[in-house]
Amino acid sequence: MKFIKLTVLLAILGAGLAASIIYSGLVNVAADEPHGDFVYWLLETARKNSITNAAQDIEVPDLSDPELLLTGGSDYEFMCSSCHLKPGQLESDMSLGLYPVPPNLSVSRPAHEHADDKQLARENFWVIKHGIKASGMPAWGKTHSDERIWAMVAFIKQLPDLTAEQYQVLTAAE
Amino acid sequence: MKTLIKLALVLVPSLALSVTANAHDPALHVKKAEKADCSKMDHSKMDMKDPVAVAMMKKCMKQAKKSKAKMEQGKMEHKKKKQDDHNQHDH
Repeated sequence: MKFIKLTVLLAILGAGLAASIIYSGLVNVAADEPHGDFVYWLLETARKNSITNAAQDIEVPDLSDPELLLTGGSDYEFMCSSCHLKPGQLESDMSLGLYPVPPNLSVSRPAHEHADDKQLARENFWVIKHGIKASGMPAWGKTHSDERIWAMVAFIKQLPDLTAEQYQVLTAAE
Repeated sequence: MKTLIKLALVLVPSLALSVTANAHDPALHVKKAEKADCSKMDHSKMDMKDPVAVAMMKKCMKQAKKSKAKMEQGKMEHKKKKQDDHNQHDH
């Protein structure tokens, strides 16, 4: 009985403390000041696991059709390159200003982040389609068909191996 | 003197605003509809099994076809205009 009373008391105190922090206005939401290590780890871990979990049953179509690179390329240039960069570009206003920092998709992911190709395609499709809350990543699925999103996934798969010249040709207006 | 103060009141804030607006390159915000630059493509070195090479070829061929069609249309229009002018002179 004593244990239950203590637990309830602690829960009430915890809720009170959380509420006073939220309502005090002390939480800094400025994008130019990064989270502390613990909060960053918490949000990153939740994000990664949420995407892996949500994307695991998505069926990946054949992404080898060269035509996909043309459709996906122009969409990438118009919708993604300002944040996720292009070959030869190291930063942009958006990549510098957004927090969390949008990943640079024009370079290969670090080895420890490598999922297998299919899982990576599933996750990229899910992220493009549904977006990520409070990160600046929009849900493109509201305005773009699955076919167009898969074309972007196919293009992103090739992107780290493209030269600036190849990128220019693939993404140029027709 | 009063006019000078008024002028300063208008000019100083507008100058300050324009400086902040030009702090980064405005060209970065302009999405230009660029044409594909196919001049650097070396067809002999292209691997036709590589989807990137095939996609680039397709893009450049489409672009070349389009500009050829445009040129032919331009020629036809020019010819038609010349003929119309000639007919008017005959009347």
